[in-house]
This record gives sequence, structure tokens and C-alpha cells, in this order.
Amino acid sequence: MGLLKKKDSTSTRSSTSPCADLRTAYHNCFNKWYSEKFVKGQWDKEECVAEWNKYRDCLSENLDGKILTRMLEVDSELNPTKQADSKESSR
Amino acid sequence: MVKAYRQEHVYKHPWERVSAASWRKFADPENKRILSHILEVDTLNRKLDTDTGKLHTTRALTIHAPGPWFLHRIVGQDICHCVESTVVDGKSRSMQLITKNISLQKFIEVEERIRYDPHPENPSAWTVCSQETSIRIKPLSALASMAEKVEQKCAEKFMQNSAKGREVMERICRYMEAESARV
Repeated sequence: MGLLKKKDSTSTRSSTSPCADLRTAYHNCFNKWYSEKFVKGQWDKEECVAEWNKYRDCLSENLDGKILTRMLEVDSELNPTKQADSKESSR
Repeated sequence: MVKAYRQEHVYKHPWERVSAASWRKFADPENKRILSHILEVDTLNRKLDTDTGKLHTTRALTIHAPGPWFLHRIVGQDICHCVESTVVDGKSRSMQLITKNISLQKFIEVEERIRYDPHPENPSAWTVCSQETSIRIKPLSALASMAEKVEQKCAEKFMQNSAKGREVMERICRYMEAESARV
């Protein structure tokens, strides 16, 4: 179901993501940081790094590679300036 | 053929609160019942530019998108994957989200752009949300002959979902306002 590699025969409505807990931990950390720091002008450093790394590693192991590639392709089409930045830095 | 429509809504809450509510919209357990068409939301990528105060985020949305029986027979699935690309500019207090479907692209292209900005008449206390959605049935697809009807049905569904989304946003904003009053 969803973005997972393995086929799941359970109902489409149940959350079967193996990364669900790590996702919740990351999103909770992010929401707190966003409300308490980012919108108050404190954007001098990345936070929730440990939560993000654990969550991201889980996603890399479990996400369907084809869908993920397509997502990131479309994302770079929607953000050409982001692409320009990364091209600049790779020169 | 493209069907496009625009909607605007004013939240009587400051931009900081509204943009924070937007991040919480899909995950809030109370509100999951209302936004039951959203099955999964995952963050795929994030990047904070510490010089400019710009936050770039990419999320994957898995949506339950059922249609009438004949649509299901043609399209073959009722799950749709979308990518949501967001930029929050902390300095200028602006948030922009662009969401596009990445599955079912043989049949349909949907792009939704949402912006949250401080309200020009009351920038410290109110927020304007403007939303533009475009729906296009691919001309050579099996749906092309009923394109107009399908686009119309999609537009109606999206507008219903937008209304639910706004309801959820207002609820989260009121909750956050009450929380900040208690502190």
C-alpha cells in the first residue's frame, strides 16, 4: 500500500508503514521547531537531525524505488531554482 | 482541455500560526477522520537555507481517490501518489505549496498551488490563503471522450476536500491560539 515496496493485502485504510513511529517522532520534532524557532526568526541551524536521519534511513529501506525516483524528478521540475543552486555548487 | 479554478480564504490568525497549522493538517488524529482521503504523508526531503531563512520540503502524499465504477475499470486503481513541494520564506513570511500527481499521469494531470501570506490589510493578525487548481485529462487517454465530465467531477471533489481542509485548518488554529493563551 502507499509507497512501500512490499505488497500489502490489508485494507487500504490501515496505516501499515513500518516507518510510522519514526515518522511521527520526526514530524513532532519538526512541528515544535517550526512553531517555537523558525517562525520567530531562529533559522541559524538544522534541528531534529537525529530524528530525520533515522526516519530517512527507514524510508530508503522501505520505499518503492521507482515511485521515489519519480517523486524527486517531479519535485525538481517544480523547483528549478533549487536545481540551479545545486548545479552552481557542483561546478 | 484544462479546468482551472481559484479560491481564496482569509484566516483571522497570524501567518506564523496558519503556516504551522498547515504542517499539522494531515497528521492531527482528530482531523484524520475529516481528511480520510489522505492515507499517508511522508517527508522525502528537507533543506534549510540558514542564510536566507528559506525552508524547502518535499513530501509524498498517498490519496484514496475512488471514482464511479467505470472509471475504476479504465484507470485500474483508486490510490494516487502525489508530490508536494513547499518553500517557506521566513524573512518575507510567505509559504507556497505545489502539489502534483505522479501516478495516473497517463490519464490526468492535477496541479494545485497554495500560498499563505500575511493579509495586506492586517498583516500582523490575518493570513490570506489563495489556492489555484488545474485539472487536465490527457487527450489521448481512454478518459478523453468523457474529459469534460471527469474534469468537472474532479473539480467538485477537490473543492469539497478544500473546504474540509479549511475546516481542519481553522480548528488547528483555534487550538493553537488557546494553547498560546494558556502559556
